Amino acid sequence: MNDVKKRLIGCFHTVFPDVPESAIPQLSQATAAGWDSVSAITLLNVIEDEFGVEMDLDQVAELNSFDRIYTYLEQQLQAA
Amino acid sequence: MTITEALQVAQRADAAGPKFQVKLACGFTPLHLQTFLIAHLQQRLPGRKVVATTGLYGDLAGTIENVATGSGDLPDCLAVVLEWSDLDQRLGFRSSGAWSTAALSDILSSARTMLARIADAVSRVPAGVRMAFTLPSLPLPPMFHTSGWQVSEEELILRRDLLAMASQLAHGMRAVIVNTQRLAERSPAGKRFDLKSDLLTGLPYTLPHADEVAAALALALLPPAPKKGIISDLDDTLWSGIVGEVGPDGVSWDLATHHQLHGLYQNTLASLSENGVLVGIASKNDAAVVQKAFKRPDLLISTDRIFPFEVHWDAKSGSVSRILNTWNIAADSVIFVDDSPMELAEVAAAHPGIECICFPKADYAAGLEMLRRLRDLCGKERISKEDTIRLDSIRRSAEFQQQTAGDGAPEEFLRQLDARISFDFDCGSDSRTLELINKTNQFNLNGIRLTEADWQKRLAQPGAFVAGLSYEDKFGMLGTISIIQGRQQENVLYVSTWVMSCRAFARRIEHRCLEVLFERYQTNRMEFDFAATAKNGPVQDFLTAILGVRPDPPVGIARPQFQAMCPPLYHMVRELEENRK
Repeated sequence: MNDVKKRLIGCFHTVFPDVPESAIPQLSQATAAGWDSVSAITLLNVIEDEFGVEMDLDQVAELNSFDRIYTYLEQQLQAA
Repeated sequence: MTITEALQVAQRADAAGPKFQVKLACGFTPLHLQTFLIAHLQQRLPGRKVVATTGLYGDLAGTIENVATGSGDLPDCLAVVLEWSDLDQRLGFRSSGAWSTAALSDILSSARTMLARIADAVSRVPAGVRMAFTLPSLPLPPMFHTSGWQVSEEELILRRDLLAMASQLAHGMRAVIVNTQRLAERSPAGKRFDLKSDLLTGLPYTLPHADEVAAALALALLPPAPKKGIISDLDDTLWSGIVGEVGPDGVSWDLATHHQLHGLYQNTLASLSENGVLVGIASKNDAAVVQKAFKRPDLLISTDRIFPFEVHWDAKSGSVSRILNTWNIAADSVIFVDDSPMELAEVAAAHPGIECICFPKADYAAGLEMLRRLRDLCGKERISKEDTIRLDSIRRSAEFQQQTAGDGAPEEFLRQLDARISFDFDCGSDSRTLELINKTNQFNLNGIRLTEADWQKRLAQPGAFVAGLSYEDKFGMLGTISIIQGRQQENVLYVSTWVMSCRAFARRIEHRCLEVLFERYQTNRMEFDFAATAKNGPVQDFLTAILGVRPDPPVGIARPQFQAMCPPLYHMVRELEENRK
C-alpha cells in the first residue's frame, strides 16, 4: 500500500472512527451509515489538513467513495 | 486547532465520563463550528464527555426560546453565535431578498424586533444555564448606498441596536459577551468569511475563524479561576531605577521621565487590588529607604493597598513563602512579577505552579502585553462584597495569627474575640456561593468543581439544604467564608459540598457549622462525600480530630461522637431563614 493511500485511510479513520481500517478502502457513501453531507464535508477538510491540497466543495457529491476520493487526490497531488 | 485535531480531541474523550451538555444556538449550518466547540470545551473538561446539540437552521431565537421554556433536557450551558442574517435574512448572502434602499428601513425594523425577541428569550433561560454570546463577526453585504469605505447611517443604527441588546445581556451577568476586539486580534476580519462554503454548505466561517469563535466561546463558558494575588518586585518593576542607589526621589514612573510603563503597572496593580486581588512586595532592598519611597504622594498605588511588604536582602523565594503564608493561598493562585530572570527562576524553582512574569522595562509592546496578561489572569466577572474587604480581612487575620502564635488559639483569646456567625439558608442563588466552592482548595471536602447547572441540580434534590456562613469578630468582617450543601434523608444529613475560606481557619467555625446543622435538622448522623486531594489537608485534619483516625471514605460522624470531640465554642450565632428574600 502506498503512502498516500495509508494517509488517506488515516483521514477516513478520523472521520469514521467506528469503521475498521481494513474496511476503509471499500467504503462508499452507499455502504457507510455515518457518511452524510456533514461528514462528507468534514472528510474533505481533514484531507486538506493532511495533504495541504484544496478539495473542491463543488465536487462533494461526486467524491462519494474511498476510490473516487483517492483518484481525485492523486490528480490534485500531481497537479500541485 | 485544525479540524483533524478537533475530531481527535472529541474522540479521545472518555465516553463513560459524566456528560457536559452544550446547546449551540446559531442560525447557520454549524458544521465545523460544532466540532471545534466540542473540542475546545473537551480540553477544558478532561474528565467529562462534552455533547453538543443544535437547534433548527435559521431559527437562532427559537433555539434560545426552547432552552428558556425547558423543552427537552436542560443543557449545562448555551453558546449563542449571532450573525447579521439572524436579525434579518436579507443581511446574509444566502437570501434573495432585495437590497433596495426602500427595504432598509424594514430591515432595521425587523432586526430591532428580533433583537428584542432574543433578549427576552435570554432573560427567561433558567439561572443554572451559563450563556455565552458572540456578536456578528462577518461583514455585512454591500447593500447600503454608501461606498464600502464609508459607513452608512443605517449600518450605524443597526450596530447601535445590536450593542444596546448586548449591554442589556451583559448587565447583571445574564450572559457573557465575547470581546469582539480580542476576537478580531486572533481572527482578522478579512479572513473570516468563506462565501463559497456559505453558499454550498451553509457554514459561512472559514475553518480558522470557526476555530477562534469556538475557542472564545469555550473560554467564556468555562473560564479559568482568576489568580488571587500578585507579588511584585520594586526596582525597575514597580518603579524605574534602583532606589538604594538613586534614593526615594530618584525613582520614577511618569511620562516626563519616559518611565510611564511603570506608572501603568502601578495603575494596573491599584485597579486589581480594588477588585479584591491581593498585592504584596518582595524586594531585596533597604527597608528604611523603601519606606521613604512609599511616602511619595505621586505613587499611583496607595501603600495601604499593599500587604505584606517583604523588604530585606534574603532570598526572594523565602519572601514569597512568607507572603503566601500570610495570604494563606497556594502558589498556583499567585503571580510573581520581577525584572530579573534570575529571581524569577529562583522563585519558580521553589514554588512550582506560581505564574512568573518578567517585567519588560523598555520594551513597550511587551509591556502592553504584560498589562493585558495581568488583567486576563486576575479578571473577575463580578466584584463581590468579599472582594472589597479581602485585604482588610487578611491584615486582621495576620494580627489574629500573631496573637494566637505558638499553641493554637488559647481559650481566653477565642472567648474575647466577640465572634459572630450568620448562617444564611437561602444563599443558593448568590453568585458568591458557587464562586467560593469553585475556588477553595484547602478546606474543601472533596475538591469537586461544579458548573452552574450541576449546582442547580443539587439544590433541586429532595431534602436539599444549603448554608452560607458569614463571620465577623473584633478584628473585622471576613464576609461569606464557608458554604455547606447536601440533603437530608430521614435521620441523616448527607453533605456533598463543604468549603471554608482559609482566612477563617483557627476560629472553630467548622465545629460551629456542624453543631448548628445537627441541631437545626435534628439528625443523629452526618455522612460526608469526602475525598482526599493534594490540597485539602485542613479538612482532613479536622475530620481526623473528630474521628480519631485519618478519614477514609465513607466518612460519617454520629452526633454523640461530634459532641464528645467538639471544643468549647464562643461565637454568637444568627440564622437567616430560607425564602427570606
